Parts: sequence; C-alpha cells; structure tokens
Amino acid sequence: MDALIGWWDDYFWGAVIVGKVFLCSLSLMITFGLLGAMAKLSNSRIAQNLAGIYTVVFRGTPPILIILLFYFGSAITLTAIAQIIDPEIKFVDVPPFWAGTIAIAVLVGSYATETFRGAFLGVNPGSIEAARALGMSNLQTFIYVRIPEMWRLALPPFGNHMLSLIKDTALISIIGLNETMFVAKQAITVTGQPFTMYIVVGAIYLGFSTVVTVVVMGVEKFGERTTVGAL
Amino acid sequence: MSFDLSLIVESVPMMLAGIGITLKLLVVSGLLGLMLAICLLLMRISGKWYLNIPAQIYIYIFRGTPILVQIFIIYYGLPQFDAIRESIFWPILREPTGCAILALTLNTGAYVSEILRGGVLGVGKGLMEAGSALGLSSRQKFIYITAPIATRLALPAYSNDVISLLKSTALASTITIADMTGIARTIVADTYAPYEIYMSLAVIYMIFTFGIQKLFGAIERYLGRYTKREG
Repeated sequence: MDALIGWWDDYFWGAVIVGKVFLCSLSLMITFGLLGAMAKLSNSRIAQNLAGIYTVVFRGTPPILIILLFYFGSAITLTAIAQIIDPEIKFVDVPPFWAGTIAIAVLVGSYATETFRGAFLGVNPGSIEAARALGMSNLQTFIYVRIPEMWRLALPPFGNHMLSLIKDTALISIIGLNETMFVAKQAITVTGQPFTMYIVVGAIYLGFSTVVTVVVMGVEKFGERTTVGAL
Repeated sequence: MSFDLSLIVESVPMMLAGIGITLKLLVVSGLLGLMLAICLLLMRISGKWYLNIPAQIYIYIFRGTPILVQIFIIYYGLPQFDAIRESIFWPILREPTGCAILALTLNTGAYVSEILRGGVLGVGKGLMEAGSALGLSSRQKFIYITAPIATRLALPAYSNDVISLLKSTALASTITIADMTGIARTIVADTYAPYEIYMSLAVIYMIFTFGIQKLFGAIERYLGRYTKREG
C-alpha cells in the first residue's frame, strides 16, 4: 500500500475525468436514444430504416472497434477538411475526450433506442386518448403524457445502460485519455506494482457503479410514489 | 482522404486469419463461464447464507468493474506476486491467451449466473407444487422441473450475453493477442487507413453476431417445440 502514497491525487483527477466523460456521454446517449426511438416509431420509412441500420450496426460491433474508428477516423476526416481550407495544415489532433465520449454515447445510444422504443410502446393508449379528448396538441401529449409514463418503464433497463456507459469509459484510455487506467499505467512505470494500481482503478469503477445503481434505485422509488397500489 | 477498396480486399483475409483466436476465446471462455455461472447460481439459490453471500459479492464485483480493468489486473497485475510466478498456474497466466480466457470466463460467469437466476425465478410456482405433490425431492424437482424450464426462459437473454462476450473478446487485442481486432490494429498502424480496415472488421463482427443470433434462434425453437405459441 505504501506504493500508493503520492498517487491518490492523480487517481482523484482521473476519476473526475471518468465522471466528466460519463455525464457528457449520458446526455448525448439520451439524445441519440430518443432520436432513434422517435425515428423507429415515426411513419417515415426512411427514418425507420436509418434507425434500424443504426441499432444493428452499433449493437453488433465491439465497443473498442467503435472507439478506435471514431478516434482515428475523425482525425483523418478533420485533417482532410482542414487541408481544403488551409493546405498548410499537416494534421488535426482530435481530443480523445470528445472522440471517446461521442463514440460510447452513440454506442450505448443504440441500446437506449430499443429501450425507449419499447417504453413508448408501453404507454397506455387510454392515457393518450384521454389527452386527445382534453384537446392537447401532439407536443403537449408528448411532454405531459408520453414522457412521464415512458420514463418509468424505461428506467430499469436504462440503469443498465448507464452502467455500461460508466464501464465503457475505461476503454477510452486505449486512445490516450488521461483517466484512471492511464494514471495506473503511469504509476506502474514508477512503482512497478501493477496489481495494486489496477485494483485501485477497479475500486474506483466499483464505486461509480454503486453510486449509479443506488441513484437509479432511488429514482425508481420516486417514480413509483404515485403509482403504488395502481395497476 | 480516399476510400481504398483494394486495401479492403487485401486486408480482410489478413484479419480473418485471426478468426480462430477470436473463436477460441469465445468458445472456451463461454463454456467455462457457463460452468462458473451454474456454480454461482447453485450457490445463490442454495438458501445457505455462507454460499449465497460470497456468490453475491463475486457477482457484484465482476459486474461493477470494466472488463478491461479485469483483463489488466490478471495479465499485468498478478505477476506482481512471486507466489503466482512460482505456482502451477503460471504456464497459463504467463500467456496472454490464458489470461484473456480467465478474465472473460470470470466476467461472463457473473453475468450469466444472473441471467440463469432470472430463468429459475421465472419457473411457475404451480409446477413446483405439482412436483411436491408427486413426491419429488427438491433435487429431483430442480433437475426435472426447474432446470429444463429455466433453460428455455433464460435462453434469449443468454444469447445476448454470448454476443457481448464476442464483443469483449476484441479487448484481448489490448494484451498483445493477435485476434481479429489485434490484427486490424496492426494493419491500421501500418497503413493509417482506419475507415477501410475498421469498417470491414465491423462488418465481419456483425456477420458473426448475426450467426450467433440465428444459432440461438434455432436452439430456442428446438427447446420450445412442445410449447404452444400464445397470441
């Protein structure tokens, strides 16, 4: 344990980066998931097919491959675009933070698409008819009826998506993000104690997953406060 | 930036050379993981706290940390201890493949045991009562009633886990194993053509995923041949 002295602050800042990646990719993931679900439920054939391709592609490929593709792919694409504007530019550096965050958000968003789609289909048709009868517009029905009913149905699987999101952040260290895995690698070259250093990383991630699980349980309770005894 | 088709034609056979390693990782750790999962399941449903609690802690730890961290702890971390370097397990733990299989087994075992538990909990109470009425012992009830029905109930979720195991095998490339992803990363490092290589590899993985889905679909139909399809 002595080897850990002097590394705690590095791990702390690494954990802060994990938290940042998590929050940024979470909001993006919800956006992609909702867009995907709405496309799948829309009447437009094109939107349905696009969303279908999106879910098949991103659910069928390994996360590491997607992160590598986003990182290296965006680097050469942005370089090519930059060279059109200014031929002097040799190479555009893409920050691993954003390449990784967007990659895991798109990836987990494909799972969220299916969850949200199922939850929207689970909304009681009677509630929507009631909203219509009250003269609510489509947008009002969406905000006041569909969303409040669907999020309770979506929450349990959505909690699992959040857990996979937090665990996927570890993969971003592969493209050089200075999060906890990266800190551990540095600490190992100095101290020569790989087991201790990686166990700390494991403990940090376990802490994150525990917090997410507890929060999801709390929110689930909150969501059920008015439905207890109903059904 | 250009999209080089000849490069794809050239590199796909090179990547497919790694399919044997990917398959080996998938099948060996899938089978070992299933055995581990059954042990964990029996511990959890044994009703004895000294079996149930360790199993629960195990599942909590392995589901709460990223698989990448688990792979690194086993591959880089364990050799920190002299006891392990001198033990009989060293020939396995010295090889990256052995470490990858061990990590994938331990990881998938935790997930699959929860899936199996879901199946066991889904078996109807009435069937168990019928078993008791026929005078079956609890072991007989488990073998002749719970196990066959739980298998059928757990199969769809299990097939998803096999697919995520396939995707996790790609992480073996981070510990120098030349599986399909490992080979692809080497090719990209040489050619710097991430789009061509990674996208064609993604297609290979998708075909793989599709094959697994079809296989499990067939098994599901076979196991469900006596059950009538209900509306």
